[in-house]
Amino acid sequence: MPEIHIKNLKKAFGDLVAIDDLTIDVKDGEYLTILGPTGAGKTTLLRLIAGLTDQTSGSIFIDGKCVDDLPPERRKVAFLSQTYSLFPHMDVWENTTFGPIARGWNPEQVEIIGREMLEMVHLYDRKDAYPSELSGGMQQRNALARALSADAKILLLDEPLRALDARLRLDLRYELKQLSKDMGMTTIHVTHDQEEALTISDRILVLRDGKVIQSGTPKEIFNKPAIPFIHHFVGEANFISGKLLEVGDEYSIIVDDDGHKYRTQKTDIKPGSRVVTGIKTEFTLMTKDIWESEDINNFTGSIERILFLGRFSDFEIKLDNGEIVHARLPGYQANKFEDGDKVNIHYSPQRLLVFPEPEGGIKKALEMV
Amino acid sequence: MTLSEKISDFISRKKVIKGWYALVIIFFIMLVIVPTLFVLTYAFTGWDEIQETVMKAPPEIQYTPTHLPVYNIRFTSQDIIDVTESYSLEVEYDTDRDTTLNHTVYLLDDGEKVIEFQEEFIVNGTGSIWFNASANDTYNYFHHVGDGYQTIRADNGTGLIEEWENEVTLRSGDRLPWDMVKDALIVSFTIATIVTIIDFTAGLPMAWLMVRKDFRGKKYIDTLIDMPLAIPTAALGFSTAMFWAVTPGLNPYGSLSLTSSPFILVILLHIVFSYPYMVRSLSAILHEIDINYEVAASTLGAPPLTVARTITLPLFRAGLVTGIILCFARSLSETGGTMAALAMMSPAMGELAYPMKTGPTLIGAWKHAGGFEPHLAFTAMILVIITLILLVIIKIVIMKFKMPLRKVFPGPERLLSKGVFPKMKDALSFIFMFLVLLIPSFFIFSFVLTGEPSPVDWGGFWGAMRFSFLVAGVITVINLIFGVPLAIYIVRGTNKIMTNILDVLVNVPLIVPTSALGISLGMFWGSMDLGMTTLLVISAHLAFTFPLVVRNVAGAMEELDPTYEETARTLGAKPMFVFRKIVFPSIKFSVLAGAIMAFTRSLGETGATLAVVKEANTVPVYIVGLVKAGNYYPAALACIALIFISFITMMAMRYMTKKAGDN
Repeated sequence: MPEIHIKNLKKAFGDLVAIDDLTIDVKDGEYLTILGPTGAGKTTLLRLIAGLTDQTSGSIFIDGKCVDDLPPERRKVAFLSQTYSLFPHMDVWENTTFGPIARGWNPEQVEIIGREMLEMVHLYDRKDAYPSELSGGMQQRNALARALSADAKILLLDEPLRALDARLRLDLRYELKQLSKDMGMTTIHVTHDQEEALTISDRILVLRDGKVIQSGTPKEIFNKPAIPFIHHFVGEANFISGKLLEVGDEYSIIVDDDGHKYRTQKTDIKPGSRVVTGIKTEFTLMTKDIWESEDINNFTGSIERILFLGRFSDFEIKLDNGEIVHARLPGYQANKFEDGDKVNIHYSPQRLLVFPEPEGGIKKALEMV
Repeated sequence: MTLSEKISDFISRKKVIKGWYALVIIFFIMLVIVPTLFVLTYAFTGWDEIQETVMKAPPEIQYTPTHLPVYNIRFTSQDIIDVTESYSLEVEYDTDRDTTLNHTVYLLDDGEKVIEFQEEFIVNGTGSIWFNASANDTYNYFHHVGDGYQTIRADNGTGLIEEWENEVTLRSGDRLPWDMVKDALIVSFTIATIVTIIDFTAGLPMAWLMVRKDFRGKKYIDTLIDMPLAIPTAALGFSTAMFWAVTPGLNPYGSLSLTSSPFILVILLHIVFSYPYMVRSLSAILHEIDINYEVAASTLGAPPLTVARTITLPLFRAGLVTGIILCFARSLSETGGTMAALAMMSPAMGELAYPMKTGPTLIGAWKHAGGFEPHLAFTAMILVIITLILLVIIKIVIMKFKMPLRKVFPGPERLLSKGVFPKMKDALSFIFMFLVLLIPSFFIFSFVLTGEPSPVDWGGFWGAMRFSFLVAGVITVINLIFGVPLAIYIVRGTNKIMTNILDVLVNVPLIVPTSALGISLGMFWGSMDLGMTTLLVISAHLAFTFPLVVRNVAGAMEELDPTYEETARTLGAKPMFVFRKIVFPSIKFSVLAGAIMAFTRSLGETGATLAVVKEANTVPVYIVGLVKAGNYYPAALACIALIFISFITMMAMRYMTKKAGDN
């Protein structure tokens, strides 16, 4: 069974710890995404699993067998690098059959698997072309066919969609998942693109500074981020730091440093603790009508800046109390607003997630590196 | 499993690979680096000897001018010939077969005759030859100063014909051997500095022209610049001296005969073979510099000269360092061509009597004379130390040095940027290239076409050729076997401290003057008393060509994205399979280029060969020997034969590296 068990894995480059005491289990047939900012150690983790670099300590088990001493060619793990690494001096066919030939299969078997894989990725009619003659999408499919024909049951994908243009990236990510499921592969897909991770994963593992900071289904990661960093990284969020005043059955109340109170979701944190609360910008309600409401989660302000992004727009709003907040609106709604408009901002209490205040303050906790 | 699979399996094991790398590193350290730097140990082991022989003045000897012998030499049946002043004498001969003229100077050491100096010439036909047995200090007989004899014998194969013996008094001179070393080194470093400056001044506009401008025939000019590199320096020295200098006893048609200063001639010669390195290094880096910086500066209103000076030149330093180090090291190291050129200006003189010597030619002369082991070791040691220090300094100074580039002189620079000035600069570049590089390089052809033919000993030439090819062939094979894995290790090795050290060490044999390297190597292996000439020559050539293979292959490996190899591994390929199918196809042209460079460098090398063994006969040594003996015509023919062979190999290399560039 192609399951992966990683135990207390550590990798250091000199003083720099890239992977820090990592323990992960990947189930058979699972499509796991590792999400994290640049420098989180994602690629290093893949390289460790593939055997391309030696760990400082800890162990990796594949199918229950320790593979620490096995060279890459004996781990039966297919690795697809960011740039695909199609061998430039070999054509599509030679690239695809490289694995079987390297493993010394007999020519008939090589012929069969090569044909099967290339037909699967719809490249059989281009089998005499060289990588430089293929489009980005074809190169990606060729690399995938090559990885799949190598008799591996584990597929490691290192930002496999990064080099493609936006449109193709959307089409191919479903194709990628489908192929891997059809082949019964266990897949680890590394990406820094949260949208990509949310759409294709069975499970997401958020990695930062070589540590797993959260593991869960896409919905869990999006709706119940473990720390402010994930809240901000997966989607974008407005944060308020302050003190937890009281905890109710439905809501909690926190007070910020200027004495303003907010109603937030309920929480297990002890009243009196320092906390931060954050709301994703797409849940920040912005309307043109000023609500004459006593609701403490209601504010007025004016639009400072609009960032037009096509399908949606990002707004920067200066509240009357001087604070800057962000809101994201879908395109059809965004059209109604213009620079300088007076607006009403509302934070829905259920959307204001509460976290213990991170050490060093919220700004530092959100830093990408 | 077939046998070949079993072997490949065995080779691919982690431990075997580690062992192989270890072996390669040991090879490199023991056969290349340690022998190259072994001479440095002499500072400790030979200190007393240095004090005794090199630093101390020989006993005072009275110079007695009244003791001058006067020769009346009659040769075979001919008349008495010229009687020259003091200790030089001209012998005229007329013989119908190869006759050996042997000139020996004996000294009396406790009443016993000891050969101090010996030179031999083979003559045939009618002509005259000069023997210089002057008793002035240029001989520098430091050990045995005192009275002695000078004999001249003639032997035409039928036994001794005649022998003359004369008593002479040799004056020691008031200078120490150390003074000679000092003079030679000062000459060497001065020449290297001047040559490098001229190379840079003339090479920069040329590199600019080749990279930034398009004109008809650029391709051919590009090839022409490299031409001197294909000619062994011994041939270049011969050809250049003929073109520029006053060469007694030889005045070929078209010779300019402009200078009788060995200093100027050697500078002109060294420019010929170092200029291509400078142009290549500068244009390589110029290629890398994004033209958009220059475009941006121009649109901001800077005239071309200002742009070049303030934008491009500061980005240039890396290329400048490479170019300067290459030119400096090549000039410092060159032996064969310099020997040939100096010999032509002072024909029929003992090498030690030449009015000017460079470090390498002094080493060659002492080695040739024999009995100067401490002097040789000392000179080689000093040369190695100064070279290494100086090159580190060059590197630091250029990288740190802030040229006053910010200051702009809008008026003059605008004026100099347009009209006749840029055209003049381009024209001068071409004139320099033709006059200083190409015509002197190929002047030898004019001599052969217009000169008077004299018999050629083709047997000797082909013998030397066979030996040269044997040496070059063997070192090329060994270089490939050990150089390719070392290059791969340097680029891909995981132990960064180790790879960085190796990366620096690999350049050492490239920088150390080859004659010093030869002395060092001779001491290292000589101390083990293996005593085999061929092996010594091979190991010397191995040391200075090894970096060429490693540098080329390492360069290609750096270009090769490691993910190709890694991907291949995860696809199930063992390391050997990855090397054969992925790595080698990608670097093969660089491997080939390295191999050909090593081969041609070995073929053209004189200094290292002469420094390791007294009696080795590679082609350049053979040519230098002919030139020294005044057999100019055969020397020229041998040069031309060697030029053709080198040219064919160079063309092959260009073709192959070009193909690599196309892929």
